[in-house]
Amino acid sequence: MTDVQANHDWEGRYYHIDQILDAPGPRTDEGFMAGDGVKDFLRKQSKILVIGAGGLGCEILANLALTGFKDIHVIDMDTIDISNLNRQFLFRPKDVGKSKAIVAAEFIMNRVPGVKVTPYFGKIQDKDDEYYLQFNLVICGLDSVEARRWINATLVNLVDPENPESLKPLIDGGTEGFKGQARVILPTITSCYECSLDMLNKPTAFPICTIANTPRLPEHCIEWASVLEWPRVHGDKKMDTDNPDDITWLYTVAAGRAKEFKIEGVTWSLTQGVVKNIIPAIASTNAIIAASCCNEAFKIATSSAAYLNNYFMLIGIEGIYSYTFEHEKKSNCPVCGGESVSLSISREMTLEELIDLLTERQDIQIKNPSLSTPTKQLYLRAPPQLEEATRPNMFKKVSELVPDGGEVTVTAGTLPFSLSIDLSFT
Amino acid sequence: MIKIWSMKKNEEAAGKKKPKTSAAQIRVQKGAASPLLTQCVLSNIVTIDLTELDLPSTMKTHFPDPADLLNFSLTITPDEGMYTGGAFNFSFAINTNYPHDPPKVKCTQTIYHPNVDLEGNVCLNILREDWKPVLNLNAVMVGLQYLFLEPNTDDPLNKEAAQEMSKNRDQFLSHVKSSMRGANIKGVQYTNVLVQ
Amino acid sequence: MNDSQPIETATTSIQMSSGAPDAKTRRYDRQLRLWAASGQAALESARILVIPATATTTSILKNLVLPGLGHFTLMDDKVVTGADAGNNFFLDGFKSIGKFRAQEVVNGLMEMNDGVEGVADVRNIREALEIDKGWLKTFDIVVAHNVDSVILDDLAALLWPDTHLVVVNSAGFLADFSIHYREHQVIESHVETSPSLRIDQAFPALLEYAMSLPLDTMDITDHAHIPYPVILVRALEEWRREREQVSGPSSGKGVPRTTAERKVFKERIRAMMRKFDEENFEEAEAQAFKCWTPTVIPSEVRELFNLHPSSASSSTTFSGLVSGLSQFSQNNPASPQYPSGLLPLTPSLPDMKSSTEEYVKLQKLFRAQSEKEKQVFKEYLSRAQVDVNDATIDQFLKNSHAIKVLKGREWKEINPGAKELLAGKLSTHTKEAATHLALAAIRKLRAKSVISSLEYVSSPNDTAMTDILDKDKLKDLLTAEAKSFLPPAVELPEAEWLVASGEVARAPSADLPTTAAFLGGLVAQEVIKMITKQYIPISAGNAASSTNDQLGICVVDLVETWTGIL
Repeated sequence: MTDVQANHDWEGRYYHIDQILDAPGPRTDEGFMAGDGVKDFLRKQSKILVIGAGGLGCEILANLALTGFKDIHVIDMDTIDISNLNRQFLFRPKDVGKSKAIVAAEFIMNRVPGVKVTPYFGKIQDKDDEYYLQFNLVICGLDSVEARRWINATLVNLVDPENPESLKPLIDGGTEGFKGQARVILPTITSCYECSLDMLNKPTAFPICTIANTPRLPEHCIEWASVLEWPRVHGDKKMDTDNPDDITWLYTVAAGRAKEFKIEGVTWSLTQGVVKNIIPAIASTNAIIAASCCNEAFKIATSSAAYLNNYFMLIGIEGIYSYTFEHEKKSNCPVCGGESVSLSISREMTLEELIDLLTERQDIQIKNPSLSTPTKQLYLRAPPQLEEATRPNMFKKVSELVPDGGEVTVTAGTLPFSLSIDLSFT
Repeated sequence: MIKIWSMKKNEEAAGKKKPKTSAAQIRVQKGAASPLLTQCVLSNIVTIDLTELDLPSTMKTHFPDPADLLNFSLTITPDEGMYTGGAFNFSFAINTNYPHDPPKVKCTQTIYHPNVDLEGNVCLNILREDWKPVLNLNAVMVGLQYLFLEPNTDDPLNKEAAQEMSKNRDQFLSHVKSSMRGANIKGVQYTNVLVQ
Repeated sequence: MNDSQPIETATTSIQMSSGAPDAKTRRYDRQLRLWAASGQAALESARILVIPATATTTSILKNLVLPGLGHFTLMDDKVVTGADAGNNFFLDGFKSIGKFRAQEVVNGLMEMNDGVEGVADVRNIREALEIDKGWLKTFDIVVAHNVDSVILDDLAALLWPDTHLVVVNSAGFLADFSIHYREHQVIESHVETSPSLRIDQAFPALLEYAMSLPLDTMDITDHAHIPYPVILVRALEEWRREREQVSGPSSGKGVPRTTAERKVFKERIRAMMRKFDEENFEEAEAQAFKCWTPTVIPSEVRELFNLHPSSASSSTTFSGLVSGLSQFSQNNPASPQYPSGLLPLTPSLPDMKSSTEEYVKLQKLFRAQSEKEKQVFKEYLSRAQVDVNDATIDQFLKNSHAIKVLKGREWKEINPGAKELLAGKLSTHTKEAATHLALAAIRKLRAKSVISSLEYVSSPNDTAMTDILDKDKLKDLLTAEAKSFLPPAVELPEAEWLVASGEVARAPSADLPTTAAFLGGLVAQEVIKMITKQYIPISAGNAASSTNDQLGICVVDLVETWTGIL
């Protein structure tokens, strides 16, 4: 037993996985290094980041651990709530209130010997590029559009053409009730999360005049309580939708309004659902989507089989319907679209001269450009106040405004997307 | 993994376009890096939105801090219709989830208008139920200006004003005029919005 | 959300308590928003048997234990091997090695939810098939994973048709499964079709109300808040009266039919506006198609009337309800002039541009009519002595336009039966059919001794599993078995068979953690649908339909990542 405890790889442990890793299949790329080469990479070298330790995250962590990933990091800023327990299977009633990332990491390490899970209880935005550069792959199990956009943009920006390893495949999953989707994003190569932003379902919003004057549905009464009455009565005090007292207040106000207007159906549970925008969630759908994400991670990390290109959606409401397709890259995507050129200019060149240069260049053909760096505006064509505020920069030397090797983003009405310039000075 | 990495190499070799930012540059900015990078995506989107604003002379933006493109105000000075002579101020707040989320717009004055309530809430469809990421700030501003030319009495936010407008237009017009001068009507103190 | 309740209850609950839910409701909140208390109650009283304790069946059980399944028995006579400890999350790593697999897995699963009853049965299924037949039939559903075909044949024959059998097969990245039931009834299908508002056949009170409005003189604000169904009923009636004057009384119930007529009709609605931007009239114009979409009984529902003829004595509550519906539709007193029959009116209205007062008024009209029709429906039920409570009747009537009765297939009907059907699928659903055949072939081989050597056995001089059986030889065996599922002259599709048999030969006994988890989710979804009788599980088609070309098998390929239905 000492042997086993030392390296944790008891005999037969990878019997199932090794059937895949020991020999190529009919759809395996030539580059696949069957046997020890691939096992060594998977189990000893690869490092994977899981974002979210909730419904999808718990499943993802368990799958990755069994698949043979041994160096796993997990980030989640949330704590455990009782309503998580119907699906987030690494948590127990005694864990309510604790960090999801920490409890999940401990659970996995106790259950699957030899796997190291490093939790971070906080926001993904707390971490810098150096942090994200250490991973080979990133899997996201998030319920927030904003966090997904953030990690997507961050990973696209990490890509350095000189360094292929800077390309971190991003595998993203999401579920709602009996529906879900999984996708593979190869930053700068395939369509990214931002490319598909207009495909997203938005939470239902009701016209504010309906809420104010012509409520017909129980939801209208609830929105009246939360959108109009709460700020009117409580002023700047923020509503805490996790606080049952706040929900009860909203429910009471909404029920009163419903009674006045003879509208039926306002309940405590509906009130909570509307104000928190609760998305129904079940273990089985999360299992399908998390499995799909981890399966792609496994195939990409090992090259043992072809991987998803690039979007899989599943609807289990009426039979089992699924659709696998290639979501196309958007040429004017603000994150992965646009072009980049390198430009070497004199240290003495002014911003105005640079703009003239851009306007004159045949390959760029830009009219009335506005320029900014990641941290400040250099020159904005409009609106007038900003034009005025940035005009003095025109006569400054570019080298005073932008560091050597810095990036300048050019936007203009004539460009369908933005152009980014890597500047260097001679 | 190796497969993916070689893909990138092949793509470079084939002379495809480069990504917008290089990691080399990120290292230069190290420290400030990550949170700013997405801030940068957002500010690109907003910069494009702002520099492409095509506003008539009746609308002006004002940036209390010209370096902060996400919080600003809009002044509308209608040159036709019943609100002519007033200068109406709206605050715009763009959150980090723009353009998935619409900008938050509020009227910063107390005005007498069927579609603006006394708290400054504005009833404009593209600010809520009909917002789409393909819309932009220009669309919102044009929509706001339209409210001053053609107030909508069917779906009001200030119900009394709307009723007055559809039932007793003269009375309504006189309320508009006096409210714009900063009068107190039925216990409500309105903001003087007359152009100085 | 379907949790509307009468206003009285809503107001009393404010007085009685804060209304905040209890701990159990909070724990299950995210799923109660899908299948409500009725679905939860069904889940909590279900009993299922699972054979044996593989990574896949453990994943399926995990997704049933979490939402609160009533009872499960996990049957497996094997002890945990190193291979099991490596791919099953609910075993305690190498500490479980050597102990009974069923017991160890049950222990792991039960940690998640103490509201569930879980039992480990360490017998071999063969033993239970011999001496415990009656007990096997006490389960609602039996799930079997990678069970060899000889045992499956016996088990399937025993369980049919009262206990539903779910057969799951997997090898490496490929999997398929099927559910074997005779008939499955779904009242709450959750499909997004809304019941008819009967615009083309307005009930008398609605018609009277629509015609009574002084459109030209009423308050302009009120005019802008007339709900669109009222506008449509009014416009259609006026159109009909005009036509009657021109073409005589026989044309009284017509609707605009030609494209030109419909265009003119829409213009008529537009002309009814008193201001240019009345959104309710714009909505009416957009919904004008409802005037010429005849209110009929959906064909699927009508087909059910043949399945449950009104004359037959009703054996179950469901067939009693359907036969009541059938009688109502044939003798609908609401619109006796309507020859093709109507379903009872649904009381719920969609949201629409309207003032609160007008909306509530319209809602009351619909409710009153719906109540009237419900009484007639209940009359038929009591005449047929169908004993059913009001809540069930309401639920049934609310969903009557979308009720579903599905048919499944008996195991032996597709194993090895249905050869011609499978041959047809090979040309229409080539990838799916080839994948299914490869999995069916490996299941056959499992029953023969050739393949039992592939089972993991831990012994000191154990060689790598892949060396035991030559892959090319295995592919040949698979091809021979696959052909036994097809008519003699039918060839296997070359490219697809190369892929499917190649994938199975690569990993003939691999229960991959990710494939297991994927199947665990997929099969659990289906089991939940079967148990709650909500949502629509996979099937071989509608029970009443005469088409018979569906096998009812779900196929999964996790290399290209797709699922398909045969």
